[in-house]
Amino acid sequence: MFGGLHSPRPLPEEDALLALAREFTPRVEAPAPTPVLLDLSGLGRLWPTPHELGRALLDAAAARAIEAQAALAFSRAAALTLARARPGLTVVPAGGEAAALAPLPLDLLGLPADRQELFRRWGLRTIGDLARLPPVSLAERLGSDGPRLLRLARGEDEGLLVPAPLPECFETTLELDWPVDGLEPLAFLLSRVLEPLCVALAAHGAKAASLAVDLGLVDGTVHARVLKPAAPSGEVRTWRTLVLLDLEAHPLRDAIARITARAEPTPARPAQFSLLDPALPSPERLAETMARLHAWTAEGRGGSPQLVDTHRPGAFAVSTFAPGPLPRGRPEEAPPAPRVALRAYRPPRLAHVLTKGGVPVFVSAPGVRGAVVACAGPWRASGDWWDVAWSREEWDVVLALQPGQALAGGGVFRLFLDRLREEWFVGGELD
Amino acid sequence: MSAASLPSATLAPPQAERKRALEDLLRARRLQADAPPLRGEDRRLRPLSTGIGAVDALLDGGFPRGALSEVHGPASSGRTGVLLALLARTTRGGALAALVDPLDRLDPASAAAAGADLSRLLWLRGPRGASEEPKAKALADATAAVATLAGSGLFDVVALDLAGADRERRRLPATTWLRLQRLVEGATTAVVLLADGHVACGPGGVALALEPVAPRWSGPPGPARLLAALAARARAGRHGLRSADLALAAL
Repeated sequence: MFGGLHSPRPLPEEDALLALAREFTPRVEAPAPTPVLLDLSGLGRLWPTPHELGRALLDAAAARAIEAQAALAFSRAAALTLARARPGLTVVPAGGEAAALAPLPLDLLGLPADRQELFRRWGLRTIGDLARLPPVSLAERLGSDGPRLLRLARGEDEGLLVPAPLPECFETTLELDWPVDGLEPLAFLLSRVLEPLCVALAAHGAKAASLAVDLGLVDGTVHARVLKPAAPSGEVRTWRTLVLLDLEAHPLRDAIARITARAEPTPARPAQFSLLDPALPSPERLAETMARLHAWTAEGRGGSPQLVDTHRPGAFAVSTFAPGPLPRGRPEEAPPAPRVALRAYRPPRLAHVLTKGGVPVFVSAPGVRGAVVACAGPWRASGDWWDVAWSREEWDVVLALQPGQALAGGGVFRLFLDRLREEWFVGGELD
Repeated sequence: MSAASLPSATLAPPQAERKRALEDLLRARRLQADAPPLRGEDRRLRPLSTGIGAVDALLDGGFPRGALSEVHGPASSGRTGVLLALLARTTRGGALAALVDPLDRLDPASAAAAGADLSRLLWLRGPRGASEEPKAKALADATAAVATLAGSGLFDVVALDLAGADRERRRLPATTWLRLQRLVEGATTAVVLLADGHVACGPGGVALALEPVAPRWSGPPGPARLLAALAARARAGRHGLRSADLALAAL
């Protein structure tokens, strides 16, 4: 049996009728805010007669301050049309749909304007007038639309009921009987909260792009955390580990009385990997590893180094570590010859340098002290005069760190003279 | 595809090379992990090459996976250059590498010049300008980070730069390196320590000792002279019986 529910007055909220209908059944068709159609199959155990069920619908509407009219019938077309037409409650017995619809005006069928105008010119006024037309003649004049309109006028259904999709809310709450203190027992409880969430996400073909965890504490406050890993995940284990690692970094002030987890869904995108390229790291494992290194990454001390488009020596940036796939069609390049690397001192070490004829002969700086055995330079560079200007004179020097040593035990260092401050620095060690 | 069904002797060299690369991939992804070895199949993982011929020859192909290895030598012996060559070779092949740098010594420009794909290099830097006491803590944190990275199984190379922190390094518990070695056993990750002197080398690992030789210059002393290269003598093995000369270009 189907029920049509209609409100002739403006609704307090657009989805008020839909929400009311969902209190009775999850199978609700709602192409518009009003009327809505309910599939009432199986409700006979709660309301033995259709009249009681219809009365319960109207009572629930009245409790929500909705002026509603209801119609219960064995066809969807009849239930919807009668709900729109008759105030109060209408119950149509099985097989009585056509008779119940017959006296109603034709415009209640919701026909297009051109059809209504055509039927008016034919002299049809009620649904019964249309239902009594000969089917063959109607099909000859209106084509396939003729029999369809005829079935509609007789209260016969076309197609299937299409339930309105339930609102997507990926949220789970767990109220604890006893407060929980410490992360170890929390791990088990988190699994209980996250498992239904991840199952619901998987059922929708989605993953969680972020997870908001609200922990209600015994002192009445809420410890709220939002986790946004580099890649979406639908794995319980991954989210549980990320939450626990985050709580380790941001400890709780009191025991936990309530756990609420809310996921932001995102479509799960299948990725096609190449058999001939190295596998990309698993996003879940990468996110987990980076969360374990939170102490490094949180202070900006962990990530991928990046070169900056400037001539300023030692300039670089650190970005989030998120390796992507190898570019396709990359030409095979020969690896560069092995090169000397600079071991940079950050900040550069202030040095006292003795010069002879403008050439350094002795260097003294924290951790670096010795006579200059050989050197190359000076190499002058400057830039950023429009911003924070820099100007320097670089030397590569070989130091004998202990008296009598030529190189063994010494090293090759990069010195520079800051020409704006007229001070010497050791910038690093060449290695 | 099975190795037995394709007679390798009849394959043209590029095809044979492609077949070997494909089998390496299958092995790396553990697609064949449960299958018995094919006839004549060598399931040992290939060591990680540095791309420096002299060093690779000394190390029998490179740094072994699943073991703790070390590169040590005094200042300007080319140890950082060798490590960056290893990181460059690894990242250019599409694999991931990590460098834990408690003293914050890496120069990204040098890494890029060595050919490293910086987007595949994870760099963990120690606190800036650390004095001795925080430096010791930074070293302890760094070894914990190496354990995390090596345990993740995401990285082919995890390097720990201890050069210049010899005194603080001695304050770490002696079992630190043993634990690291046990952690990477059976994994596909190579853990490489960079230090001033010998620190630790696992049973399957290699120790590469570098000794600086006089640097090479582009010409006689004068204003136009440039540092051309750093030369070094490399020794491998526990007793340093095998050695080779190598030069790292500075120009």
